[in-house]
Amino acid sequence: MTNAAEFRSFAADLLAWMDAVGEGNNVADRFPTLAWRLFGLQSECVSPLRDLCRARGIARDALRDWRDIPVVPTRAFKEFSITSLSPDQQTAEFRSSQTTGRDFSRCSHDPESLALYERSALTWFRVAQGLRPGDRRRVLVLTPPKAEAPHSSLVHMFDLICRAHGDEGSAFLSAGDSTGAWVLAAEAAWAALREAAAGSTPVLLLGTAFSFVHLLEGRPTGQPPVRLPTGSFVLETGGYKGRSRELPKSDLHAALGKALGLAPQCVRTEYGMCELSSQAYDTFRGDPPAGPRVFRFPPWARAVVVSPETGREVADGESGLLRVYDLANVRSVLAIETEDLAVRCGAGFELLGRAARAEPRGCSLMPAAT
Amino acid sequence: MQLPQYFLADLPDRAAVTPAVVTEACLSLKSNRRQFLRERNTDSMVAAIAAVAEDWLDPDNPFRRLALAEGPSALGFSRETLSAGLDAFFRTLTAENLRALLTQDLGNNQRLERLSPAEGETYPRQLAFAQGPPLVAHITAGRLPNPVLTSMVHGLLLRSAQFVKCATGTALLPRLFAHSLREVEAKLGACLEIAEWPGACHDLTDALIAQADCVTAMGSDETIAAIRRRVPWNTRFLGYGHRVSVGYVAVEAMSAFTLPKVVAACAQDVIAWDQLGCLSPHAIYVETGNRQTPHRFAELLAAELDRLEGICPRGRLSLDEAASIAARRGFYEIRAAHSGDTALWRSEGSTAWTVVYENDPRFHPSCLNRFVYVKAVAGVEQALEGLDSLRGQVSTVGLSASGLTEQRLAQRFAAWGVTRICPLGRMQEPPLTWRHDGRPSLADLVTWTDWEPGGRG
Repeated sequence: MTNAAEFRSFAADLLAWMDAVGEGNNVADRFPTLAWRLFGLQSECVSPLRDLCRARGIARDALRDWRDIPVVPTRAFKEFSITSLSPDQQTAEFRSSQTTGRDFSRCSHDPESLALYERSALTWFRVAQGLRPGDRRRVLVLTPPKAEAPHSSLVHMFDLICRAHGDEGSAFLSAGDSTGAWVLAAEAAWAALREAAAGSTPVLLLGTAFSFVHLLEGRPTGQPPVRLPTGSFVLETGGYKGRSRELPKSDLHAALGKALGLAPQCVRTEYGMCELSSQAYDTFRGDPPAGPRVFRFPPWARAVVVSPETGREVADGESGLLRVYDLANVRSVLAIETEDLAVRCGAGFELLGRAARAEPRGCSLMPAAT
Repeated sequence: MQLPQYFLADLPDRAAVTPAVVTEACLSLKSNRRQFLRERNTDSMVAAIAAVAEDWLDPDNPFRRLALAEGPSALGFSRETLSAGLDAFFRTLTAENLRALLTQDLGNNQRLERLSPAEGETYPRQLAFAQGPPLVAHITAGRLPNPVLTSMVHGLLLRSAQFVKCATGTALLPRLFAHSLREVEAKLGACLEIAEWPGACHDLTDALIAQADCVTAMGSDETIAAIRRRVPWNTRFLGYGHRVSVGYVAVEAMSAFTLPKVVAACAQDVIAWDQLGCLSPHAIYVETGNRQTPHRFAELLAAELDRLEGICPRGRLSLDEAASIAARRGFYEIRAAHSGDTALWRSEGSTAWTVVYENDPRFHPSCLNRFVYVKAVAGVEQALEGLDSLRGQVSTVGLSASGLTEQRLAQRFAAWGVTRICPLGRMQEPPLTWRHDGRPSLADLVTWTDWEPGGRG
């Protein structure tokens, strides 16, 4: 079998597993088997990974555990082409949101890997959020539409959700300005929310943390409070990225719940990045929810929290650096080391935030502000 | 040993520190200074400081013992690193060195007592008298004690009362130093205050600044700018912001005979204070052209850091600090696997030390904690090009060269704007006469009176 054929056959097996999970069937865990198969292919066909394995003297058969599969740090996506696709096979490119200069990650897709990405994203979104195919919602998205943000994996996913579940009143409520920044049409957004509140179709309000800050800041004064229909929820994703005031997430979520008449468990969060093809959603304990938000990936992606000192998985309840093993990353690499710190919570994780990117500063390592 | 509750930082209840308490402490400091310090002569101050410093070198000194017992958990340095750092610091605090500093900065070490000519002038045309500010407020940052302790020594020499405001969790060593002074001379202790509060407590900082005649501040450039905005225009302000340092090894230091010594000296600079000082090297520029290559230098440096880890281990890191080392290692490993222009050596099973070799002169700040870059260059001009984005921010170059080459390189770095050049291996041990960030230390603090005598006209 050629490599292309092997990738295709792998993708077909993974799709079958995703579909079984999506349909709620109780299926055996195929993760270890599929991880080995995919690593075998990627370590041959993705040159930075191939070089890494050669430099470490890794023979695939010598590895005992899928956790031993070499991880590629997200930072490497900024410098290297981490893909098994040749340039002429690449039909789509997702980029990380730091679009200043050349300092962004790129992840390439061909039609097949993009289809897999979409199936992974949509299937787990439905399972995690309790939607069935065919369910219609008023999907209001606080990002620009796909045409104005062609390299955003997030917008691609929101577009997917909107097409699969949006009713005729669904809309994208930001526009990209000339610098590529996303500008929210706050007035239109509140008008759309008020209109939705008057109806009975539940609302899915999707956006980034900074777009929600812009939404709250742009709330017209003197209007009666908005109370979204039963079954509505907010999905917040990503950080502030310096594009808005940075308030603690718990404050943001509380403010959103209050502004939209939603219970705390209806303000939810997603964890994802352009280097991954699967997303994690937070789950809730108790009603009203108590304790930290615990994120879970679909069964075909695994979060592993490792000690940065030893590189080994930490014990339950301990914190470390988050690695994600994502089988839907068929054409790049399945094992990614993020720069996020997390606490291991069973098979899920609690997010602590991004490890300090700022360079420590000599004698002023600890700023006087602490 | 239990310290008596003498300074604000000794109090178990931090909430006891209010703006009124800070103001009251400042007023007492000024009054104590008038009573105890103003009439002291320079010689007695020099003798007192030198005696306390000598005590600190004694392994049985209870303050030193306490520093070594509590320092590792409070400050995150290993006992060995602390011990070596304290020795290096207190060794320089001799009476001779203190007098040399006074002469260098004030022209004559009598000038704090009376109108005097510059040293060596027999028929002076001008006499001068210098007075320190009545109350200096030091706003400090970071876990490294040297900058704070040095500032305290400067204030003592000038007979200023001093209020040292430490960043949260960093007061241990200034406190112990102040207690050791107080034990030798209670009156000196009465002119010092040590306190700790978060930078966000502006009401406390403002109360302090309102009483101070001079404010010194250390920290990030943003922190300095923020403090500066709070200081009245007619209060003297001295800010020490972000600086970096590098090493430079000339090709002649790369012979098979000299190389091990140069590498050992370089490793000392990397491990001192776990590389966290402004004077610690982020990168070592190594000239090519010898059979011993910069790559070989990096390899030997890695071996030396590994050996030293057994003798003088690095301190424990926070999750954040360890994660930033792990993330960089992951990235450089991929780059090294891809190209021979990069190579990586690292401690096994820990983040204790990391050496990254790069055949690229562009400077990239290290994440420190014993993570060092070795960069191959054809010569000094290439290194300076690589450092161009940091012009004006390079504190120290640790230089390994000899004879005329050393002189030529030192002159080149000086002209480019480096403010201190020293031998590799001594980067973290500046002499007392070192001009911090290129500024005089005592001379920046005093106010002069000049007298042009008319008697001989």
